[in-house]
Amino acid sequence: MSVLSAPEASPPHLAWIAERLRQVTVEIHTEAGGGAGILWAADLVVTNAHVARDLWARVGLADDRHVEARLVIADRRADLALLRMPRSGAPPAELADSDALRVGALVVALGHPLGLRRTLTAGVVHALAPARPGGRRWIHADVRLAPGNSGGPLADTAGRVVGINTMIAGGLALAIPINDVRRFVASAAAGAT
Amino acid sequence: MTTVMDLSNALAGAVERASGAVLAVHGRPRLPSTGVRWRAGLVVTANHTVEADREVTLTGPDGRTLSAQVAGRDPRLDIAVLRTDAESAPAADVADDGELRIGHLVLAVGAGPRASAGIVSALDVGGGRQASGEIVAVDLTLYPGFSGGPLVDVRGRVVGITTSGASRHLQCAVRASAVSRLVDHVVQGGRIPRAYLGVGTQAVVLPDALRDRLHLAQRTAVIAVNVKPDSPAAAAGLIIGDVIVSVAGHAIAEPEDLMAVLRPDRVGRAVTLSILRGGEPRDLEVIVGERPQRA
Repeated sequence: MSVLSAPEASPPHLAWIAERLRQVTVEIHTEAGGGAGILWAADLVVTNAHVARDLWARVGLADDRHVEARLVIADRRADLALLRMPRSGAPPAELADSDALRVGALVVALGHPLGLRRTLTAGVVHALAPARPGGRRWIHADVRLAPGNSGGPLADTAGRVVGINTMIAGGLALAIPINDVRRFVASAAAGAT
Repeated sequence: MTTVMDLSNALAGAVERASGAVLAVHGRPRLPSTGVRWRAGLVVTANHTVEADREVTLTGPDGRTLSAQVAGRDPRLDIAVLRTDAESAPAADVADDGELRIGHLVLAVGAGPRASAGIVSALDVGGGRQASGEIVAVDLTLYPGFSGGPLVDVRGRVVGITTSGASRHLQCAVRASAVSRLVDHVVQGGRIPRAYLGVGTQAVVLPDALRDRLHLAQRTAVIAVNVKPDSPAAAAGLIIGDVIVSVAGHAIAEPEDLMAVLRPDRVGRAVTLSILRGGEPRDLEVIVGERPQRA
C-alpha cells in the first residue's frame, strides 16, 4: 500500500512492528478449513468462530511448532472463538484500547491471505460505524484482506492489537473491536469457572 | 523524533480537523455524497451527485439537516456549488495547492467521518488536454459516497475536492484553487457562468502534408459541423467546414478539448481561434459568450 513509504523511514519501522505481530499471529487448521488467530495468553488463542468450526484445531506458532488446541467456547453471533492449547513460551499479544481508535489512523493487518503465511498489509482506519444501521460497531479499515486473514490481528503502529479481522465488505476490512473481544474472553473465563 | 505513531496520530488529527466542515449531501436517490463547507453559506460537492430539479438536503457533522439550493455548476470540472443558510459552523481550512507534489501523502474524507489514504500520483491529469492544471490524480480508493469530499494534506487542510466523475480510469481531485475560482464566481455574480461559442464540432484527421506544411504536432483537429446563428462563433465569422486547430494557444484535437478551454472566467473575453479554411490557416477573434442558465 502506498502509505508505506513514509513510515518506513521513521523509527520504529513498520518492519519492526510486523516482526512483533508475527510472533503473536498463529495459523489455525481444522477439518473444515482455517485461518489466523491471536495469541491471547500463554495457553489461549482467540479467533473467529467461522475459523474454529471444529472441537479440535491444529495451531501453527511463529516458531513453526504445531500444537493441538481445543475449542473452549464459540459465539457464532459475535463470530468469536476461544481455544486452549499447551502453554507456549511466546509472549502474548499486546492490546490497545479500541475505543481510543480514530478515523485516519494508520493500521496494519497480519494474517495468511490466500495461504501466504504471516503477511502484512497496511492502510488507515476508514470508519468506526455499524456495518448496517442499528448493528454493532465495527472497525472499517482501508486495508487489503483476503481469505486467510480471518481471525488475525488488526494493529496500531505500536504493534498493539486493536481488532480481529473478520470480514471483507466492499473492499474494506471489517474488524471486531478488541474491547468487544476482551469482554467476550472475560465472560468466557467467568463461564468456565 | 518523529515516529510512525506520530504520523498515525497526525493522519487521524487531519481527518478530525477536516471533518468539521464535511457534510453529507442528499442530492440523488439512495447513496448520499459528500460536500465541504467552503465559505459561510456555500457548500461545494461533486456535480454528478446532485441531480437537476431536485430538493437537496445536507447533514452536518452534528447530525443537523439543512436545506440547500444549487447556486452553480461546472460539469467540466464536476463541481457544484450549493447555497445554504449561513450558520456559525466553521468553513474548511483551504490550503495553497501549489505546494502539492507527486508522492505527497493525502487523505480522502467522506461524511461520517470516513477516510482513505494514499499519495498524489499525478499533478496534471490529461497533460493539458482535459482541464489543464486543475485536476490531480491520487492513488487512493474513493469509496462509494466519497465524491465531493475533501482531499486533505497531513495537516488536515483541504487541497482539493475528490470525484470519481472527472475521469473514467483515475481517482481524481479538483485542485482547491480551481474550486475557489468557481466559488468566487458564485460570491461575485451569484452563479457560475458557462462559456459558450455556439459551434458544434467533430474530430477530423489532419493530412500529413498539411501538418508538415503548417508545423502542427497534433494529428487531429475539430471541424465545425454546426454554427448557431447569432452565436459568438457566427459573429466572429466562423462557418461550417472550418477546421479549428487551436483556441487561445491550446491545441484542439477533439471536441472535449474545446470544452476544456471554455473555462467560466473566459466569458466576455476575446480568444483567438486558429482555423483552417480551404487548407489555409487564418485566425478569428471571438468574444466568448455565456450559455443561458438552466438549473
